Amino acid sequence: MTGRLLGAFWRINLAEELQYRANFIASVLGTLFSMATALLTLALFFRHTSALGGWDYWEIVVLLGVFNALTGVVEAVLRPGIGRLAGEVRGGGLDLVLVKPVDAQGFVSFRHLDIWRFADIVLGLGLAGYALVRLHHAPSFAQLGAFVVTLAAAAVVVYAIWVVLMSLAFWFVSVENIAVLFDAVYEGARYPVSAYPGALRFLFVYLIPIAWTTTIPASALTGRLRPEIALAAALVAGVAFTLARALWRAALKRYTGASG
Amino acid sequence: MSWLRRYGALIRNAWLVDIQYRAAIVLWLLWGVTEPAIALGIWWAIAGAGSVGGYARADFARYFFAVMLINQLTIAWDSWYLDRWIREGELNYRLARPLHPAHEAVAENIAYKARTASVILIVWILCAAAWPAVRLSIDPGRLALTALAVLLAAAMRFFISFTTGLLAFWTTRATAIMELHAGVSLFLAGRIAPLALLPSAVAGIAGVLWFRGMLSFPVDLLTGAVQGGDAVLRGLASQVVWLGIWILAYRIAWTRGIRKYGAVGG
Repeated sequence: MTGRLLGAFWRINLAEELQYRANFIASVLGTLFSMATALLTLALFFRHTSALGGWDYWEIVVLLGVFNALTGVVEAVLRPGIGRLAGEVRGGGLDLVLVKPVDAQGFVSFRHLDIWRFADIVLGLGLAGYALVRLHHAPSFAQLGAFVVTLAAAAVVVYAIWVVLMSLAFWFVSVENIAVLFDAVYEGARYPVSAYPGALRFLFVYLIPIAWTTTIPASALTGRLRPEIALAAALVAGVAFTLARALWRAALKRYTGASG
Repeated sequence: MSWLRRYGALIRNAWLVDIQYRAAIVLWLLWGVTEPAIALGIWWAIAGAGSVGGYARADFARYFFAVMLINQLTIAWDSWYLDRWIREGELNYRLARPLHPAHEAVAENIAYKARTASVILIVWILCAAAWPAVRLSIDPGRLALTALAVLLAAAMRFFISFTTGLLAFWTTRATAIMELHAGVSLFLAGRIAPLALLPSAVAGIAGVLWFRGMLSFPVDLLTGAVQGGDAVLRGLASQVVWLGIWILAYRIAWTRGIRKYGAVGG
């Protein structure tokens, strides 16, 4: 049921977006510009050093590619879907979701796609691929498999973080811009975990383990990681998803409706 | 006197509106300080026990703490507001008031910055108590000059943002232009690194254009990286000239735009 309904929503979604094809060009140009600033920033750092946290230039470019691909997932799926939840809890729009005979979390999460931003995933993976060529590193099948699993696990972890943030909106109704918290912390995922000094590393690695979402898949691709770690990543993703779902359910119990 | 009373009322109003969105403002504040915090972390690691282009770890720490504070004091969100006002017709009732809409925007800036910058200042003082690297030598003359430079930078960034927002009269992508400007200023205004660490040609361009005056110059003034009356005077003069140019650009955009504007919505 949820699947069929979502399918219908996506078809309307696609028809809508196809009316505004100029947005595709604008979106791609915007992504290319942000990739260029990220590469220039990196080039600036490497004017003054030959390695960051033990990673050389092209290894970090692989990581930036992963970062861009994950950004694509966030912008195409999460922000236009579950990202609107905080505002809907405040305005009462969630009522309209809850009366539908579907799983509310699944529907809220995937009802609307910003399809042009899927190009970011392609561009990001392209950048990672180019960096691998420059590294003269052809990943083995095991490494590629580990990359796919860890990247999927990272996407699940990022999704779980969004579910947790949006669930908090049920308690703190006035924080409509809570997604900003994600944007702020996600900035930390642009560089490998090992590049950060003590206090920041503690923050990004243990307190909000966001830096792993790019470091681990990039490490899998460049062969820094034993492929078996992918299983551990999948396990972590499973735990994160379960916890987020539990919090979502607890949060939903508090919802009393606000529309009228 | 009447201007004092008007501004008193506008700022009070903006302050009270902000109180309703305290938590939201804290989130924006957090977002504003992560970028310099991450840049500091990376430069800290690169500098190691030595120094990079004359900057040791403690210099980087002071530089990026100053960036956090002064960026907060000079940042202007007005292009996003104007874009919405123009597109959704919220400009209409503002035009009907006997007061130019820019005054409301200025008052909002003052209220917002007073709140957020004082938070950063308090955090900085607390950090300095525990961490000698971020302590500044207090020199009243230098502080006064920095205050002047910050004021000029804030005024300039306000007019840049306001003017770019006015482009919404002609295009639906005014905020995209502002994003482009933000991307360029990442380097040229010194947000990601002190200008001294950029290739000298790039740093030169930043100095000729308005970017250095936006942020880097007041920051260097505060940390003491700008030395000598001559360099200080040249920096301030450049700020004044570019502020004048942006005010001119604003006046052109405003008069042309208003003539073209056909109200939408209500």
